[in-house]
Amino acid sequence: MPDSQRRVHNRLAVLRAERGLSRKQLADKLGINYQTIGYIERGDYNPSLELALTIAELFRLPIEAIFSLKPMTPLSEEIFREPPPEPR
Amino acid sequence: MNTTTTSRIDYLPRSRRRALVVVALAGYPVAVAALAALKHTSLNRWLILALFLLLLLPTLATLLVGYRYARGRIDGRRARLDERDLALRQQAYALSHHVLTAILIAATAITEIYLTSGNTLQFDANSFWLVAMWVIVYLPALPSLMLAWIETDQPADA
Repeated sequence: MPDSQRRVHNRLAVLRAERGLSRKQLADKLGINYQTIGYIERGDYNPSLELALTIAELFRLPIEAIFSLKPMTPLSEEIFREPPPEPR
Repeated sequence: MNTTTTSRIDYLPRSRRRALVVVALAGYPVAVAALAALKHTSLNRWLILALFLLLLLPTLATLLVGYRYARGRIDGRRARLDERDLALRQQAYALSHHVLTAILIAATAITEIYLTSGNTLQFDANSFWLVAMWVIVYLPALPSLMLAWIETDQPADA
C-alpha cells in the first residue's frame, strides 16, 4: 500500500472470529488468497470496492459496519450504547 | 530448493528482504569494480577470475532468493492471482521502471562528465561483455527484486 494512501479501518477480524472462520475459510469463500485477508485486517491493504461489497454481502452487513475511514469503535459499545435522549 | 527453504523464503521479513535486494543490486557493480582494480595488479589472470566469480556469488544467491520470493506472482504463473497480488505486481513493475530510469540517467551523466573532462572511453569486447551481463542478469530480475522490496511483512497465521 503506498504511504500516501488513506487507511481504511475495518472489523474483519472481529466478524471472522464471531463466525468462527479461519482466514483460509473466509478467503476461499471470497476467492482470494488467505494472506490478503491478513493484510486487510492489519490495514496494510485496502480492498477494492468490489471486494469490500462482496465481504459485506457475505457477512450480511452494510458496508459501513465493516469498513470505515475513521477508527472503529468496538461492536459491543455500538450495540449497547444508550440512545440519545428524545427531545421533548 | 526443498520445501522448508522455500517456505522460509516466503516468510522472510521485509528488513531481510531489503538487505538481500541491496546486496543483489550492489554486488555486480562491486565485483566489476574489483575486477577493474585487480587487472592493474600483478596477480595471476586465473586468480583474478576466481576472485571475480567469488564476488559474484552473493549477487547470484540473492538474485535467486529474490526470484524465488516473487516466483509465480511477478510472472503471472500462479494459477490464481488475487487483486492484492495484481496491485503489488503493478507496483513492482512501476518501481522497476523508476529504478532502471535512475540507473540509466546516472550512468549517462557519469559517462558524460567523464568524457567532457578530457578522458576517453575504450569500449571493447570485454567492456561490452560486462554491460551485456548486467543487462541479462538485472533486467529480468528487477521486478522480482522490487516486489521483494515493497511487500510488507506477512501477517501471522490465524
